[in-house]
This record gives sequence, structure tokens and C-alpha cells, in this order.
Amino acid sequence: MNIRSLSKLKRSILPCAIAALTLITSLGCTGQTVMAAESYNSYNYNFWGEAIAQPQTFLYEKSFFTEGSDCTLSFPKDMFLKNDTLYIADTGNSRILVMDPDGNIISEYTHGKDKSDVFKEPQGVFVTDEGHIYIADSGNGRIVELDEKGEFVREVGRPVTSLISDSQDYTPTKVVVDHSERIYVIAYGINMGLLEFDKNGNFQGFMGATEVSVSPFTYIWKNYFSTKQQQERMATIVPTEYSNICVDNENFIYATINNLSTDDLASGADAIRRLNPTGDDVLRRLSNYHIIGDLNGYSGGWSSFCDVTVNDDGCYFILDDAGGKVFAYDYDGNSLFVFGKKGIKEGNFQKPVAIALTDEEDRIYVLDNILGTVISFKITDYGSKLLSAIRLNNMGDSEGATAMWNEVSRYNSNNELAYIGLGKASMDAEDYKSAMNYFKLGNNRKYYSKALFYYRKEMMEKYFSKGMLGIGIILLIFIGIKGYFSIKKWVGKARCYMENL
Amino acid sequence: MLYGKSLKYVFHLIFHPFDGFWDLKFEKRGSIPAAFTLVLLTIITFSIEKQSTGFLFNMNRLSELNIVVDVTTVLLLYILWCSANWCTTSLMDGKGRMLDILIAVGYSLAPLVIIRLPLVLISHFITTNEGSFYTVFQTISILWSLLLLFLGTMITHQYTVKKTILTCLITLLGMGILMFIGLLFFNVIGRMMTFVVTIYKELRFR
Repeated sequence: MNIRSLSKLKRSILPCAIAALTLITSLGCTGQTVMAAESYNSYNYNFWGEAIAQPQTFLYEKSFFTEGSDCTLSFPKDMFLKNDTLYIADTGNSRILVMDPDGNIISEYTHGKDKSDVFKEPQGVFVTDEGHIYIADSGNGRIVELDEKGEFVREVGRPVTSLISDSQDYTPTKVVVDHSERIYVIAYGINMGLLEFDKNGNFQGFMGATEVSVSPFTYIWKNYFSTKQQQERMATIVPTEYSNICVDNENFIYATINNLSTDDLASGADAIRRLNPTGDDVLRRLSNYHIIGDLNGYSGGWSSFCDVTVNDDGCYFILDDAGGKVFAYDYDGNSLFVFGKKGIKEGNFQKPVAIALTDEEDRIYVLDNILGTVISFKITDYGSKLLSAIRLNNMGDSEGATAMWNEVSRYNSNNELAYIGLGKASMDAEDYKSAMNYFKLGNNRKYYSKALFYYRKEMMEKYFSKGMLGIGIILLIFIGIKGYFSIKKWVGKARCYMENL
Repeated sequence: MLYGKSLKYVFHLIFHPFDGFWDLKFEKRGSIPAAFTLVLLTIITFSIEKQSTGFLFNMNRLSELNIVVDVTTVLLLYILWCSANWCTTSLMDGKGRMLDILIAVGYSLAPLVIIRLPLVLISHFITTNEGSFYTVFQTISILWSLLLLFLGTMITHQYTVKKTILTCLITLLGMGILMFIGLLFFNVIGRMMTFVVTIYKELRFR
């Protein structure tokens, strides 16, 4: 692949792509049938923090539970995908629906122990590897476990602890279970972190509480310069709650935070965390920008993360209910792609609440609270190449990864990750010059420095002897000429002296 | 004084500032053309630095570079400093004339050129680990120039150290005031121009 022509293309392709996209979307508006028309744009953030248009990664496929279908949802709040089966918490109808990928309802769970023990507005659902369903039965203030056939197993009620005052309601909203069967619960109005239960359902404590960060100015202003009335009207400085959680294959918990203030977001507070079993945030943040969704938040409002899902390679997909977008990041926190939009067209969201990724990573399902629909998006060729390049890279198959990155950069010559991937491959192949070129295109100074180091070494080894020889010869000639003149001078002087004797 | 000889004098001046600035003024070892050449070289240095520094140390976007900005920044600072300094020192018994100030300031920019221009070349061959050398030399160039500027002011006007510090501070303030007056002036002139143009248009269309 010719890099130089690519970098030239880079500049010219972008405006064309944007123009084409606007043309396509405007055609879509006028009602003409254009198959490629999408009701949203796809982009990602480059090194300079600019949103750069890129090929679509996920295309709208279809909606389930639309108006007029046999089964409709009423303000659903959560969705979970396990073994190609969707579990939907149909909150308004107080039931859990189980659906296959074609949209057929397999079963419907409405009660716990017996017929009279009905769910009340369940807001969260989680399914373990064995197929046991955990339901955050919010209205009844409990977690219910059903087995794979829907038979009642147990319930985990209000935690027995003095840490929560008796006057406080206990409303679990989200639940996950990790591989060692610990249960983590988000409860409404409890901001001390996640509630952690052991496998027998005993309350263990809080985990991963968010630290409170207050600027010194705010602190002094609030405590020393405000009147009592003013203080009452000011926002209280309390830790934030988590909005949603999911667990990855390494038993780490991804948690999103959505009620951050504008100041927090502008100063780059973490809107997502990856908690290890002791509750510390271990999310890798190696990108140049904070993981807060849209970077230029002031114009369009800040993103607000309401759900997250993670694949086996550590890529995570965050759902933003403020802008109705899906943000994808890789393991290091680099922006992969952004798609989706709030709106009234097909494939747009009103209030997205939950996101799920299939095991084959070929589809993303998004649950919409107001529309009451499950919207499915199918991955494009570009999207799947991007994800599989990352996977092959993780698996250590550098040859396969190189081929994939080449394909990705062919689709999208603005993809910096692809160039970095290609650069790493060139490093492995000990072609340091082209590695430097790739890292330059990918705007990665850290790796460029490494490539430069090896390239410099290679050049030194190659030309050091010749260079030194050249310098030596020049020096010798120089000294020779100088010596000749000084000898001549000395001889002259000596002769002069001799004559004067 | 020959142009080439006065330009060459820079190398003596930057290493022997006390004698150097004294001779610059009283022995007439410097010249205006040489000083202006050094200012021009500074402008060239800064714009080359922005464009051609190696990838590792260059955080500028080539597409956003504007040479006009580089030129005007250096020129404006040079002219502002010189005129503000002249204004202040006239009031504070300074012994230097405008010409002396222009020459002294021009000559004290020399370390910027002498250090930074080779650094641009070197930046292509060093990695991030060796980057501290790069930054150290960059800082040295600025500090050296500032020191020369200070000593130049002190010797040209025959001040004490204390008085020089005071003068420099007042000069900085004066630069601010000059900028303000300049902006005000251009604003008023612009408004007057539009006023005249409007009247002319109204008369024409009548």
C-alpha cells in the first residue's frame, strides 16, 4: 500500500465523504428510497479531538415490539443478551420477556414463588452462564433468582446493615452476578457504591464508591462565604451513583456514571469505570482524551452514559441517552466509532436505556424506553474488520492483524488505529522506516520514538564506519595542509635566523 | 562600520555582554542593518521551528500554521519593546538613543537564532528519552536572550541593576498601554472611515 498517496487522499476524501453523507441523508428526508440512507452518522475522534466522519460500522436492521405487533412493551428499563436470547425487563407491565433473535416470544415471567408473588416494576435483569435469571424486582425491593426454566430459586431482600438508614427506601435497579457468583446491585438513592452480596445472598458491603471531588474554590465559597439560605439552595456535595453495570469475562465490573455535573465533565471526570474485585478503578486511559462520549460537549450538551457492554477483547460499547449515541472504545480507551442519533426516523432513539452485543459481535441491540422497542443494528464489513483486527492483535496473530488493518485503512484512510497497527507490524518486520511513517500517520509519538530509536541504530551501524572514515580523511587532509604551512613557516623563520647569525 | 564586521561582532557580544554592549554603543561596533538582520533571522528561526521541527517535538498542525502571525508577533514585540523602552528611559534619565536601543535589542536576540536553528535539525535525530536535552537548550536560549536584553538595557542607559529592573517593569506596562492605544486608534479610525464612506454613499445615491 502506498502511504504517501494515502495521506494525500486523507485530506481530499473527508469533505467528499461529508458531502456524500449529507446528500444521502437529505435524499432520505425527501422520501426517495435510497438503500444506503442512514438516519445517523458515524464518526470517531482523531488525535486532535476532532470528530471525523468514517464509514458506517453498524447499520439499522429492524425494530421489535413496534406499534401494532402482538406484544408491546411498556417503558422497559433493561435488557440482557445471553446465548442469542434477549431477556427484557418490561418494567411497565411488571414482567420479564424472553425473546429469540427473530422476535418470537419464548417465555414470559411475571412472578416469583407462586402466582400471587408477582413482580412489581422490575428494572434490571441479568442472566448467568447457567441460564439462571436474576431480576431486580424494584417495586418489591428484592432480587429474585429464577432458574433456566423460570422456576423460583431464591430471593435476596433488603441488605441487613446499619449503613443504610431505616427510613431510606431500598429500590434495586440493576443487578449483575460475577463468575464467582457474587451479586452486585445498584440501588436507587444509595450513593456509597455498589451493594455487594456473597453467593448465599448475605450483604458484604459497598464496593467502588466514587470519590467526592470538590474544587478548593467551591469548598471555601460554600463553607465560608455563603449564607445559610444560599447553602441550602446549592447542590450538596455527595458522591455520584452508578447508572449501570456489566461484568466482563475477567470478572471486572464496568460501571457507568450519568449524573455528573457539567464542570465535572469539562474537567474530564470519569464517566465510566472498570472496577476490580476490591473496588478500585482499573480502566486503561491511554488515549489523549477522557472517556466522556462527545468531546465538544458545550455545543450539543454532554453525553450521559446509561449502559455499557463489553466484548471478549475488552472493547466496550457505551450507550448515551442524552445524545442517543453508541460510543465504542478499545481496551486502551481509544475511540473506535460513534453512531446513532436521537430522532423520529427509523433507527433513531427517543430514550435508549440498554445495549447488548451478540456473542458473534455481529449485532447490537438497543432498548428504547419511550418507543418501547428493541432496535437491532447489524455490523458492516468495515465494522467487523475493525473489531477483528483488534481481536487478532490481542490473540498475537500479527500477520492476520496486519492484513485486517490494511483492509480497515483501505476503507477509512483516517483511521489512526489502523496506522498504529500497521506501524507495529512494520516494527515486528524490522522495517523501521515505514514504521515511522505509519506512526506519523497515526499520530502516535510514543511508538514513533521507539521506531526512530531502532532506525537510528540501524543507520548508525550501517554508516558509522564509512562516516568516521570520511571525517578522518578530511581531518587528515586539513592537518596535513596546516602542518605543511607551519613547517614552511618554521623553515622560513629558521632560515631567517640562520642568515641573521 | 562595515556590515559584515558588525554582524560578526554578535559572537563576541553574547559571550562578553558587559564589554560587548559598552563597545556596541560607545565604540560603535554595532550597526542598524546588522540588528535588523538579527530580527529577521529570529523571525525565520521561529517560523522554521514551527514547520520543520521533527515529528516528536512538533505539536503544531501544519495546516493551521500562519507565517503572517509569526512575522507580526516578533516584529510587533520588537517594535513595542523598543518604543516603550525609549519612552520610559527618556523620562528616567536613560543615556541611550532610539538607535542604541534598536541595536541593543536586536543583538540580544542572537542566542535564539544561534541555539534554536541547529535544534530544529537535531530534533529529527533524537527520541523522546533524549527530549530533555532539547527542552533544556530551548530554555537556555530564552534565558540567555532575556539576560542579554536586561544587560543591554542596563549598559545602554547606564543604569544600576535596581533601576534596570524597574525600567523593564515599566516598559512591560508601557507595552500594554501602547497596545491598548493602538487598538483604540485603529477602532476609531475604522469608525471614522465607515462614517465618511456612508456619507459619500448617501450623497451619491441622492
